[in-house]
Amino acid sequence: MPNEPVGVLVIGAGASGAAFSWSIADAGMSVLCLDQGPWMKQQDYPSNGLDYEARGMGDFSPSPNVRGLPADYPVNEQHSDISPLMFNAVGGGTILWAAHFPRLTPRDFRMKSDDGVGEDWPIDYQTLEPYFAMNDRMMGVSGLSGDPAFPYHEPTLPPLPLGKIGNTMAAGFEKLGWHWWPSDSAILSREHEGRQPCINLGPCTSGCAQGAKASTDITYWPAAQRKGVQVRTGCRVREITVRSDGMADGVLYYDPEGELQEQKAEIVVLACNGIGTPRLLLNSKSSQHPDGLANSSGRVGKNLMFHPYAMITGIFEEPLQGRRGPVGCSFWSHEFYRTDRSRGFVRGYSFEAIRGFGPVQTALWGMIRGFLPWGEGHHQKFARLYDHTASLIAITEDLPDETHTVTLDPELTDSHGIPAPRVTYRLSDNSRKMLAHAVERAKEALTAAGAVETSAEPLFREAGWHLMGTARMGKDPTTSVVNEWGQAHDVKNLFIVDGSVFVTAGAVNPTSTIQALALYVADSIKKNIETLFDSA
Amino acid sequence: MSDAPAALDDQDFMDALFDLVIPPSASGELPGAGTLGLSAAVATALQADPLLGPLVEAGVQAVREAALTQHPEGLPSMTPQAGTKVIEAQLNSSHPLLIMGLARYLYAAYYQHPRILEGIGELPRPPFPEGFDVEETDAGLLEKLQARRKTL
Ligand SMILES: Cc1cc2nc3c(=O)[nH]c(=O)nc-3n(C[C@H](O)[C@H](O)[C@H](O)COP(=O)(O)OP(=O)(O)OC[C@H]3O[C@@H](n4cnc5c(N)ncnc54)[C@H](O)[C@@H]3O)c2cc1C
Ligand code: SF4
Repeated sequence: MPNEPVGVLVIGAGASGAAFSWSIADAGMSVLCLDQGPWMKQQDYPSNGLDYEARGMGDFSPSPNVRGLPADYPVNEQHSDISPLMFNAVGGGTILWAAHFPRLTPRDFRMKSDDGVGEDWPIDYQTLEPYFAMNDRMMGVSGLSGDPAFPYHEPTLPPLPLGKIGNTMAAGFEKLGWHWWPSDSAILSREHEGRQPCINLGPCTSGCAQGAKASTDITYWPAAQRKGVQVRTGCRVREITVRSDGMADGVLYYDPEGELQEQKAEIVVLACNGIGTPRLLLNSKSSQHPDGLANSSGRVGKNLMFHPYAMITGIFEEPLQGRRGPVGCSFWSHEFYRTDRSRGFVRGYSFEAIRGFGPVQTALWGMIRGFLPWGEGHHQKFARLYDHTASLIAITEDLPDETHTVTLDPELTDSHGIPAPRVTYRLSDNSRKMLAHAVERAKEALTAAGAVETSAEPLFREAGWHLMGTARMGKDPTTSVVNEWGQAHDVKNLFIVDGSVFVTAGAVNPTSTIQALALYVADSIKKNIETLFDSA
Repeated sequence: MSDAPAALDDQDFMDALFDLVIPPSASGELPGAGTLGLSAAVATALQADPLLGPLVEAGVQAVREAALTQHPEGLPSMTPQAGTKVIEAQLNSSHPLLIMGLARYLYAAYYQHPRILEGIGELPRPPFPEGFDVEETDAGLLEKLQARRKTL
């Protein structure tokens, strides 16, 4: 039986797809979301078992190439200095994310005007402000108001405790007189909307069994479903189909039994992330769109931005009780966020203080960094490392670069035979200099905090958590894929709401901004529905 | 062809090898990795790893053969010093990544074992559902912070 046509078809049930679907449900149209992954169950998360660290490197690895689960598609990352990471399920990346929740800053929207590099966004922070606030309430954000690095805003809940490890590192920043501030975290410090607070399990990045971390399967989706939004899982979209006038008319997808299905829709919305979205557009070639859908500018799949990361770890004499508490949420620092050309690079970076390693990670990190021998002396050295390390990660701004791309791999396919993405990304000279600067400053901060030894990974390869820029937003249809409302310039009933639309990356984790944008796009559709499809 | 099992499936040999990689602690509080019955799980994990599996398999095979040239009963009957030398010789010649590859799975199995967790001062239970307590944010630090910075 053919599927009933729907008003709005959202592809991808992750961070942005969830926020968008929840909001657009108020438009009075039927809303259906397709995701290739399943619903997750909290009782299956690794922190329910002793082997939680091993599973975090196996079936809960952030790399789809390592997991290789039925919901995953492979990514050819051989031509990239950074491995792209993601999770494919209802909730998308938020199943595994650390929930560190900064917003882009106002200046991040006008990089070209301020620094003469990259591009300005067609929208600004003020436009997104109400959507940031709405998203904070929906996700449940803990934090401390008053951070001078951001416009004033009040997180929904009080901040999470820094713990001994955070207090120790923050004291180092304080000693140096550097900016630091308890992070906004999409993790509950108190009960909120029926969800229980964080109990400091530690391994948030393999799923939160407590439900304290805001993955969208437990935040937006229940609320969206109450409004009537349907979610169909295990459904992998192969291509977006078009009518003879070039407008989108639905998708072809494989259902959980592997049968090809057709789904018609009046509006198609892409929320497949910065890799999945360009992949799907490039896989949706037609006579009207021979280079891929919405690609008359040639920008689909270009300007991939990741945020190159460095990780710098200090070894301390004191035990730090570091393994406890949300691994990625402690405090941040914007001391080196803005351009200072005397440093030899343009733009800047933020620091994120993270919590300590578990026993397995301590052992593996110690071995790789040359601190932990095998054989004689192993236990003595392990005791010196375990619960005695604290790390800072530097999140550096990645400038848009057209040679950083997502293309279709000529050979690799997923389990349905759909061409898989290939990522081409080489670290720029600007990024390299920024990372080197960040490593030295982090060592200073850790030493000020009491570290007796430090060790740095100047480019953390397994850190492609942030996928941005591959279908960017702009006013000019010759240099951008979507307009300021997320609407494809070439296909008026096609919208993109995920990280692909980012014009520039800032130097903070992107998801707060991704979701605010998704809510803003949904609102723009609701407000302009009468005229939305008139030709320009 | 020999009837001997593949080195990865040769439990006595693997236990002896594990004990050399993670020997018992000097105090005896932490057992050697060979006494915890980890070999089957580690072998299964390695066999499922297309990258590290073949590297480690070739390395342990070479260690077993080299040990047999020095002692008729091989690694399990050798002294720790002699066994260590055999491994080092392989690391320094054809199998430099042997320990790195093996440790990826051996450390994961060892450091999640309840006896080891207790020995390193952790509770031998999963994080969920009890969770943990953490120290509150240092109020003095926050006061200083708020007094110090009004703008960035
Ligand atoms: C380990 C980890 C830690 C992270 N930590 C943080 C953090 O602390 N802070 C932060 O801001 N960000 C963090 N991130 C990034 C964050 O998860 C992403 O920015 C966010 O999830 C992106 O949202 P999205 O909607 O663009 O895409 P996603 O959340 O990735 O959702 C995309 C969805 O689309 C589905 N999909 C893709 N293609 C198809 C198809 N063809 N058919 C059907 N369905 C499809 C996928 O299954 C997936 O569910 C982290 C990510 C990871 C992996
Ligand atoms: S530390 Fe908190 S947020 Fe993280 S997994 Fe545990 S309960 Fe969830």
